[in-house]
Parts: sequence; C-alpha cells; structure tokens
Amino acid sequence: MDILTNLLLGLKVAGEPYNLMVAAAGLILGVIVGVLPGLGGANGCAILIPVTFVMPPVAAVILLSSLYWGSLYGGCICSILFNIPGEPWAVATTFDGYPMAKKGQAGRALSAAFFAHFCGAVVGTIALTFFAPVLAAFALRFGPPEVFGVMLLTFSAFVGLVGKSPIKTLVATAFGFILAAVGIDIVSGELRLTFGLTPLMGGFNFIVAVIGLFGIGEILLTVEEGLKFEGVKVRMRWSDITSTFKDMGRYWKILVLGSFVGVWMGFKPGGATPASFMAYGFAKEGMSAEDKAQFGQGHIAGIFAPEAAAHGAGTSAMIPMITLGIPGSPTAAVILGGLMIWGLQPGPMLFVDKPDFVWGLIASTWYGNIIGLFMVLAFAPAFAAVLRVPFAILMPLLIFICAIGAYAVNNRMIDIWYMMMFGVIGWAFKKLDYNMAPMLLALVLGDMAESAMRQSLIMSQGSLLIFLQPPITLPLVIAAAIIGSWPWVSPLWGRMRGQGKPGAK
Amino acid sequence: MTTKAADILVAIILLGFGLLVAWDSLRLGSGWGMEGPKAGFFPIVMAAIALAGCVVVIRQAMKGTSSVKGGKPFVPAGGMKPVLTVFIPACGMVLLTEVVGLYVAAMIYLAAYIKIVGGYRWRTVLLVSIPIPLIFYWVFEKLFLIPMPAGMFGAQILPF
Repeated sequence: MDILTNLLLGLKVAGEPYNLMVAAAGLILGVIVGVLPGLGGANGCAILIPVTFVMPPVAAVILLSSLYWGSLYGGCICSILFNIPGEPWAVATTFDGYPMAKKGQAGRALSAAFFAHFCGAVVGTIALTFFAPVLAAFALRFGPPEVFGVMLLTFSAFVGLVGKSPIKTLVATAFGFILAAVGIDIVSGELRLTFGLTPLMGGFNFIVAVIGLFGIGEILLTVEEGLKFEGVKVRMRWSDITSTFKDMGRYWKILVLGSFVGVWMGFKPGGATPASFMAYGFAKEGMSAEDKAQFGQGHIAGIFAPEAAAHGAGTSAMIPMITLGIPGSPTAAVILGGLMIWGLQPGPMLFVDKPDFVWGLIASTWYGNIIGLFMVLAFAPAFAAVLRVPFAILMPLLIFICAIGAYAVNNRMIDIWYMMMFGVIGWAFKKLDYNMAPMLLALVLGDMAESAMRQSLIMSQGSLLIFLQPPITLPLVIAAAIIGSWPWVSPLWGRMRGQGKPGAK
Repeated sequence: MTTKAADILVAIILLGFGLLVAWDSLRLGSGWGMEGPKAGFFPIVMAAIALAGCVVVIRQAMKGTSSVKGGKPFVPAGGMKPVLTVFIPACGMVLLTEVVGLYVAAMIYLAAYIKIVGGYRWRTVLLVSIPIPLIFYWVFEKLFLIPMPAGMFGAQILPF
C-alpha cells in the first residue's frame, strides 16, 4: 500500500540517529515548558524557531513537533501535582487528578494520565497517518476560492464554538488579520497601515505575538493571581504502573471514547478544550451512581477521559495543518509558521513535493509519543522539580528567554518591545474573554487568506458568486455561515420553540 | 477600575484603532483597481467587522450582558503591585539592552530582581545571574551563530 511504503520511508528518516536525538531533546524541553505555567507548547516552539534555522527542515519539524508532544505530556504533571492547569484543556484533569494526588495517590494519577495520553496519541497518530494523505490528495484540487472557504470555516468555528464571548472572538480575529496586513502589501507592493512610521514597515511577526500573548501575558496573569506552587511530592512506583494497567482494562471504553472525541474535536480549530470537557462529561455520564459520586473526589476515569481527549486533539490538530495549511491549535500554528520560515509552502503540495518531510514528521509522531511515554514515566518527579525552583528566580529567567526568542526571529530590537506590548494585550484580553487563539491564527494565515480572497475575486472579475460555487466552496461557506451564526441563532431557535409549546418557560 | 469600565475602555481603544485602519484603507483605495481588489480592500472589510464588533461589545458591557462580570475590580485587590514588579523591571531590562546588549542587561536584571524582589543571598544571586546568561551567550552566539542585540556598548563588554 502506498501509505505504508511512505510510512516506512518516514520511519527511516525519523529514525536516523540525529533526528532521534533531536526528537529526544524536543521532548525534554517540551515536558519542561509543559510543566511550567506560562510557557506552553506554542511558546516553547516560538522560542525555539530561531534555533531551527541551522537545521535541515525535517530535523527542524521533528524538534518542534516533539516539543509539542512533550508539552502535552508535561501539562498533566502541573495540573495533577500542583492543581494548576498549565493549559486550558488541562482544567478537566485537575477535578480528579489533584484530589487523587492529595490522597497520596499522585503516582497512580500521573501514571494513569500518561497512559491516557498515550492512548490519545495512538488514535490521533493513526488518524494522522491514514487520513492526512487522503485529505491532502483531495485538497490538491483546491483553488483560491476553496482555500478561502476553508479559512472562513476555520474562523467561524472559533466564533461559533469556542470561547465565552463570540463577539469578542470576532473582534480579536479581525484585529489578527489587521495586524497581519501591516507592512508591505504582497500583491501591490504598497505600504499599508504604517502611518509613515518606520518600525511598522516590517510588520508584526506572529512569533513575537505568540511569545508576548502566551508568554509574557501568562506570566503577568500568574503573578496577579498570586499563585502559590504548593505541589504534592511524588514518587513513581512500579505498582503505580501495574495498577494503571488494571484500571485501563476496566475503563478501556472511556479511554477509547476519550481518544476518539479528542481526535474528532481536535481536527477543528480550538477543539482541545471542549474535547477534554466533553470526554470528562461522557465518562461521568456512563458511570454507575456510586462511581458518579466519586467523580471530583479523585476517580481514575476522570483522569483517563480528559487526558486521552487532550492528547488526541493535540495530535489531530496536525492533520489540517499538514494537509490544508490550517493549524488546529496554537502550537500547530507556530509549527506552520516555522514551515513558512524554512521556505516550505504549506498545503497539500507538501505530500507531493516533500514526501520525506511530511512522512518524517508523521513517523516522528509515532517515535516521539512512544519515547515521550517512557520518558515521563521514568522522570516525572524530576520534571516536577522544575516547579520547585523559586518563582523569583524562575520568572526573570523566563522573561530573559522570551526576549531571546522574540529578538532572534528577525534580529530586530523593536520586536522585544512588541513582545512586551503583546504581553500587556494578552494580559488584558485574557481577563476580558477576548480569545487569543484565533487572533494568532489570523496573524499567521493573514497573507494566505487575503491572497486567496483577492485571487478568487480576480478569477471571477469581482463577482462574489465565486464563493457560492459548487461542489466544494458552497458547502464550506454554508457550513461556515451556520457555525459562525450559531451563538445568535440557537437562542432565537430556543425562544421560538419555547413559544410554540404552551406552558414552557 | 471595575471590569465593566475596563471592558468599555478596551473596546473604545480598539474602536480607535479600527477607525485608523479604516482611514488608511480608504487612503489606499478599497475598491476595484487595475488588477483586482486594491490594497485597502481586505483591511477595510476587517476594520468594518472590528468596528461593528466593538460597538456590540460596548453595548453588552453597558447593559451588563457581557460574559465578564462587570462589577468586580479589573485587577483584584493587591494584584496590581506584583504585576508591576514584574513588568517594570522587565521593561528596564529591554531598555538596558538598547545600551549594553541583551546578555549584560540580563545579568543586571536577574541579579537585581533576585536580590531585591526575591531577597536571596548574594551567593544565590551571583550563581544564577552570571553563569546563565553566559551559557546562553555561548549557545546562541558561538554554537548556533545567532546574534543577540549588542546595544551601544555590548560588543566592548563581551568581546570574546
């Protein structure tokens, strides 16, 4: 089979000693950034991008994706031992993970979380391996209108499905696109939105925005809340792992369900957080009454479900990234940005032009998640020790590292100032429910979305009807319209039905 | 400041930026040019969405239907001081970077922060603030050949 030959090629590429070493380094760094609150996978990848300039693209993407897997594994250490969710999708894990840790079952909780991650990873990677090439082959037929349709669907999914305030998500998205437009217009070569200011001519780099919004902003939020890192001490015993196997045998349905929910939701942008909550909810609903009462007190299935979903979602977020050039998560967006910097054109043509790159990435996902599992099982206490570094020492170091990352992208001093500015924006936006993931995505995809729109309009000589063209664009645009208007339509719908039924409130 | 006031203030600031964007897009031309939509076409669409959105955000905040709880203070009591103790020294480091380069600025920043805010002993301060920037210096400048800002005098201070 074609896919299997390609996978073998990828396994050979990713299995080269240098690439395996890079993967291990990425995993270690990933677990560390995953453990640290304020530094997640997106930020870690953004800071590492300058380092990848000296690597071949395959090694570079393996480094970043391994860091991503590592950060997914690392996130649960923080939420279980310290009750601090490092990422929004780790919130559901704290419900049962932290109570278990407090009861002295930290090792068992962690081991359960790691194996749940692995299950999610396996299902996600299978989807990536077998579904991505099919989707890419289909997407090869996409022209500018179809690409624009996919973009529209992506952003309307953010507005309609993610976040507390749809209208603020819309505003944040629009400003993401506006920030992307600052600088030289790629089509006409004119200077836009620079207002005669020289520093604005280079535009805003999304890596700087990531480091500011997710790095500095998170650090400011952390100190404002005055978080105390009072972690539970952990020792991993062999019995913890064997008891996890027993639990996995008992709750295998929850693991599988969680993984599938994750993969399905993660495919859509911003899906990881709802996926973890959904999986948690499903797991709880499927339980007997006495088990249900245990939920929130430290039930092992309450760890299995959200963690499997989170990792599955994280993995499947790579599918639209590698096939359509549309990342499903902020970290995937940074990796996509890396692709552009390394001189690769994201999109389905990658499968044709750069099979070693694509399949190296897919194969390294297999290796990375397997190595990652053993790594966190063996060294979880060591990674948790990172959080025992006093905050007054850790925090200035993090800011220093962020500054290095922000400067190195373009060697511009102004970028470090922009990083601080984005830090304040991130701090204020997070508190006011402005969703930053679509803003970031808009900043990354701005040029692509705009040129898709303009090229389509050139093709149709200005007629908007080109966006309503069957067979592909029309369904995409209709789906986008339905999903994007959902927050406004669904209450109306509810009210209409409520009026229809007499006596209903 | 209450969260409601901050919500409105941020929306007004965004509204202002939206207007700036719309104004510049109109200057560039947002209609149909010689070869397709002009440079201002896409920005003005986005500005229109942003402006309309900001108006709704302000209205929601006024009516109290916003998703954020308006009555609470925007920064909880005692929250502003730690934020500023992080933010101001960090800005100080960036400012110093302009003068003495990132590595030297980082040494001063780390030492000052760990000593003054953290209140650690000089031994701890020096063990963190001197070697760590030097390690980064070696990794980035020597190993990966990625230059960091040297500022006005950085090249003289770290000449090796």
